[in-house]
Amino acid sequence: MPSNAPAAHIEVEDLEIHYGPVAAVGPVSFSVQPGQQLTLLGPSGCGKTTTLRAIAGLERPSSGAIRIGGETMYSSARGINLPAERRGLSMVFQSYAIWPHMTVYDNVAYGLRVRRKSRAEVEEKVRRALDLVQMGQYADRHASQLSGGQQQRVALARACAFSPSVLLFDEPLSNLDAKLRGDMRIELRELQHRLGVTSLYVTHDLEEALAMSDRIVVMRAGKIEQIGPPDEIYNYPRTAFVADFVGSSNLIRGRLRPDLARDGLIALESEGGHIVHGVAHGRPAGAEPVLSVRTVHLRLVTGRPDGGGANGAANGAAGEEPVNVWPVTVRRSVFLGDLTELHVAWGGRELVVRCSGRADVGEGQPAFLSADPRHCVLLEAA
Amino acid sequence: MSKEHDPRQPGQGRLTRRTALHAGLAAATLPLAGLAARPARAQQQGRKVTTVHGFETAADIAKAEQEGTLLFYTHDSDSAGAAIMEAFTKDFPKIRPNYVRAQNGALYSKILAERSAGRTDVDVIQFSDIGTAIDFQKRGGYEKYESPQAQNYATGHLSNPAGYYFWSGITFAGIAYNTNQVKKENAPKGWKDLLDPRWKDAVSVKQATSGMQFVAWYELRRLYGDDYWKAFAKQQPHGFDSRAQLFDRLAKGDDKVCGLAEWAGYVLYQRREAPIAFVAPEDGLPAAPLATGVVDKAPHPEAARLFLDWLASERGQSVYQDNEYLLYGSVRKNAPPMPGGLKLADFKLLIPEDMDAYLASRKDFNSQWNNMLGLL
Amino acid sequence: MSTASGVQERPGAQAIRSRSWIPSGQAVAGIIVILVTAALVAYPIYYLLQASLDVGEPDVRPPTAYGLDNYATLPRYSQIMLNTLYVSFAATVMALVFGFVTAWILNRTEVPFRRTLEQAMAVPYYVTPLLGALAWSLLGAPQSGLINQLWRALGGEGAIINIASPLGIAWVMALFEGSVAFVMIGAVMKSMDPALEEASQVMGAGRLRTMLRITLPLVTPGVLGAAIFVFAEMLGSFSAALVLGTPSRFYVITTAIYQLVAQYPPRIPLAAAMGVSLFAVMFVMLFIYRRIVARRSYVTVTGKAFRPRLADVGPLRWVLFAICATYVLLSVVLPMLTLIYASLQHLTAIVPSAANFTLDNFRSVLSQNAIRHAITNSLLLGVMTATIGVALTGLIAWLVHRSRIPGRGLLEYAAMFPQAVPRLVFAFGMMWAWLVFPVPIYGTLWVLLIAYVTVFLPLGLRTISSVLMQVDKSLEECGEVCGASWGYRMRTITMPLLRPGLLAAWMLLFIASVRELGASILLMGPHSQVLTPAIVEAWFTNSSERTAAMALIQTFVVGLAMAFFLIVTRRMARQGG
Repeated sequence: MPSNAPAAHIEVEDLEIHYGPVAAVGPVSFSVQPGQQLTLLGPSGCGKTTTLRAIAGLERPSSGAIRIGGETMYSSARGINLPAERRGLSMVFQSYAIWPHMTVYDNVAYGLRVRRKSRAEVEEKVRRALDLVQMGQYADRHASQLSGGQQQRVALARACAFSPSVLLFDEPLSNLDAKLRGDMRIELRELQHRLGVTSLYVTHDLEEALAMSDRIVVMRAGKIEQIGPPDEIYNYPRTAFVADFVGSSNLIRGRLRPDLARDGLIALESEGGHIVHGVAHGRPAGAEPVLSVRTVHLRLVTGRPDGGGANGAANGAAGEEPVNVWPVTVRRSVFLGDLTELHVAWGGRELVVRCSGRADVGEGQPAFLSADPRHCVLLEAA
Repeated sequence: MSKEHDPRQPGQGRLTRRTALHAGLAAATLPLAGLAARPARAQQQGRKVTTVHGFETAADIAKAEQEGTLLFYTHDSDSAGAAIMEAFTKDFPKIRPNYVRAQNGALYSKILAERSAGRTDVDVIQFSDIGTAIDFQKRGGYEKYESPQAQNYATGHLSNPAGYYFWSGITFAGIAYNTNQVKKENAPKGWKDLLDPRWKDAVSVKQATSGMQFVAWYELRRLYGDDYWKAFAKQQPHGFDSRAQLFDRLAKGDDKVCGLAEWAGYVLYQRREAPIAFVAPEDGLPAAPLATGVVDKAPHPEAARLFLDWLASERGQSVYQDNEYLLYGSVRKNAPPMPGGLKLADFKLLIPEDMDAYLASRKDFNSQWNNMLGLL
Repeated sequence: MSTASGVQERPGAQAIRSRSWIPSGQAVAGIIVILVTAALVAYPIYYLLQASLDVGEPDVRPPTAYGLDNYATLPRYSQIMLNTLYVSFAATVMALVFGFVTAWILNRTEVPFRRTLEQAMAVPYYVTPLLGALAWSLLGAPQSGLINQLWRALGGEGAIINIASPLGIAWVMALFEGSVAFVMIGAVMKSMDPALEEASQVMGAGRLRTMLRITLPLVTPGVLGAAIFVFAEMLGSFSAALVLGTPSRFYVITTAIYQLVAQYPPRIPLAAAMGVSLFAVMFVMLFIYRRIVARRSYVTVTGKAFRPRLADVGPLRWVLFAICATYVLLSVVLPMLTLIYASLQHLTAIVPSAANFTLDNFRSVLSQNAIRHAITNSLLLGVMTATIGVALTGLIAWLVHRSRIPGRGLLEYAAMFPQAVPRLVFAFGMMWAWLVFPVPIYGTLWVLLIAYVTVFLPLGLRTISSVLMQVDKSLEECGEVCGASWGYRMRTITMPLLRPGLLAAWMLLFIASVRELGASILLMGPHSQVLTPAIVEAWFTNSSERTAAMALIQTFVVGLAMAFFLIVTRRMARQGG
């Protein structure tokens, strides 16, 4: 394996980026541990790419600080703004930015030549980088003759060739078709582990973020909605936005019923009168508490489930009423191949349920809906 | 400034010879339009002579005013053309004339091209070269019109036979130089002085299209022989289209000496207090009569005739003499002196006599002159 | 009956599949347009070629004898050819430098007042090389030029610049054609993905290295294409050489042709031969240009325009601003001021005495009818040329890019053909062509109209084509599927969508026709005086001060008209949405 420069720690502090009078980003603060991958996730226009480019040195922030490996790259307080070419980072662009007038070899060797490495070292590192992405036999091909997927690999090889300490990715897989994307996702993750390089990754694709990251930053309109490891983001979303952006979620509003709380669970009376039990996850309930239940966590069966049944309602002592079980009617059923999506009438509104394969219940039929209280999460107060 | 007073009226003394030549030419004309063969009096049938604004005309004035316009082709500058038009309209407000100007040669090729294509837009045409007029007459280009004004001109100042064109003025040229750049003691005093190497690349002349230039070339070649112009070519002279350009450059100092300085131009710039001095060489000043006539098949024949008569009358001639863009000498009998008090008779004018040789030398002139000017 | 594949067919099917000869609206329009274009373009060319092969009697038409003698004598004029190449080459280099530097500064750096400067860069195009040549002649004539006068007043000797020299002529040509280079090179820069440079920077390469290794190699093919195009234009350039070169006996091919035609006796066949040879050279150059551009240059893959990141250059940006401002100064401000200054004097001097100042020039110019006629003619002609031109090239563009009629490749070729012919030469062919035409349009505005529409076909076609290609085909196809006829679709879908482009093309054609010299100088007649040739004629027969006054008056009036139409077309474009 190519020996790397020690992986660096990325710190971003109160970063703000303005376009004219409009605040595109900020203030945002986060950090990336050495050797880890942090993903900036969000819809288009949320400022994730702008933040990445600011770290790269391609955008000029208006205030804040950026430190990489302990060195200050940007500080508004101290008037420092290192140009991109001096930050020692590496980046894979969304459009790959492969130079069409050079060969594949020259593209990959560029960073090494800039650092004035010897011919032998350049040769060795280029070959290694190309092998890493399985493009070894294309070394002498002219870059303008590559396909999209091939360009993407060359961009990757180029970014890794000179063993950078930090790798930035700007939606590198968004131009590939779904199948290729799935494969490349895994490869990128393995590569990152192998090289042990610190990565900052930008994407709008949820699966990519969940599959590849050590930590995820969910952004919206230039602000951070939530930071955390993938499973925490997925299972314990902080806000309604995160809940619905990261996977699909049902949001249930209501008023708290402390009188019905038990076993560490809280109880919420929905607007339609149903009682839903859920977990607070250490969050205080505000004036308008909201519970988030993922569509895949809702179960639909034809017969009423008893306590302790396979439906997994945690209801403590046998004989007690099982919690989170309600009679519902199926309004609509949509077959999605791997999943079936069902819209059920519940408490004066609709809930969306997703279950794998074909559903047991058809449209218009009554059924019973249940949900594990551990999967009904209280959102943070707005 | 040196000038000689020559009491001879231009052309007077050589009258008989020239008339004989003209007659010979007329007889040898190809009857392209058959006009030349027609007896002279045919056009005069039934023409009433009226007096208007103090001059006599055989044109039908009412019809002329009905025609309402006429087209005048002239070699003169725009300002000159405009001045003539303005003066004529002042006298005849119902007639709005238009002019087109081009240097003599270009003008001639233009009208020939048009006539060969069967176009007849022009009513009256004025050349700055007698040779051109004679050639045009040969081709039947003029309409024969016996103007009652003809009696005010010597026979030698009319076409031969009379009725095709007349001498509407004379322009003549000497040498001029810029007084800021040329000291009096170094200034040229005669034509031969122009060959001095100090004037290399600093002397200006007109282009081969100019009638005046053709005369100058012919006369000086006659006086000094072929070698004169060969030597002059070594001076790498600059060639221009118009008198205005020549004097403009001379006044600004872009040229030091002008080898074809028309008296008319000099007078105008003198009024503007330009630093220019005029030299009338002892050997004489080449002079080009202006020939004006009504064009055959003119679309506005009555207006054309009226215009011609006006031009030949005192009124028109005074415009030609006094307007600052014209300043030509008039050959009309009993014409007043030119502005400044001088008369044509005060200058030794050189006008070609041997019309045959003159006309025949045209081709030589064109090629030699074009070559000399670094042209084609 | 069954076919070879064994499939049963209905007997009538064969007949239906055979070509239907009922002409659609599209086909009819197509045929008319093809015929009109071919006539406009081919008719004068035929006469040009015929004149060049005329070796018979000079003044007789049609030619009595044909031969190649005229071409055989061309080597005698090799000096003129060399002059042309020298001046064109120098002018191209200068224009490219101006264009490249200003395009770089305005597209890539954070120079202050960028918007204003970008708009200012278009003004030299409006000013016209003729006015520039007149003004620079007043500034840089060796003896009387104002700059040289100033030089001498400050103690210098002789002349510091000589605008009448070949390099002086090239300078004036470059100043005014430089804005064309600016637009073309700017387009190349705009079509380059900025990520290509950013990648280099992130890899650690400094600005200089990035420019040398990445940017320059990528823009070079586009710049080369622009260079060839500009060179071809310079070959056909006329005004600067006419005003500055002819007085000092320096000829290029275009001015030589003009001289041959205007002199006495005119040498039409020789002029035609020269014209044809110039045309052949330009043709080859433009052919090469097409090949370079068509062979996909690295940069213009998607045809999208990118907005590159603007480099922050710190205090240097004022220097860059000064550079751009200097260009505008030299090409617009200084010439205009000079003309104003000269027009107010009797005899232009750098330090005039009080008595030298006068309004006489303006007074005498305004009293001439010719001015009013020239202005109204030019404006009228401009409006007609623009309107007919846009309609015709709009149809051509649609037929070439959107229709399926046969022969549309030939149509594009024919419409772009005039680009290869120097406009003066084209007009020369027209001069003969329309002189013998049975309908008497020679010497009228009509022949000028025909000439202008013909020579501006390429300009209109290029502009409208680029707009048309940005309109998605599916928008029209949808109308087709809905059942709309061709004419209806054109009216209700295509035209409204193209509206801004059509209006821009209209404006371009209007301006081009008002500033045109080469095509009109040979075709102008007494009743069809137009602007730019009238100024040239004035220059030849008037003092330079009066010419300056005339030029100023005419420019002012036309400028007003242009501003008026600009506002109107902008308003109309915006309304269309």
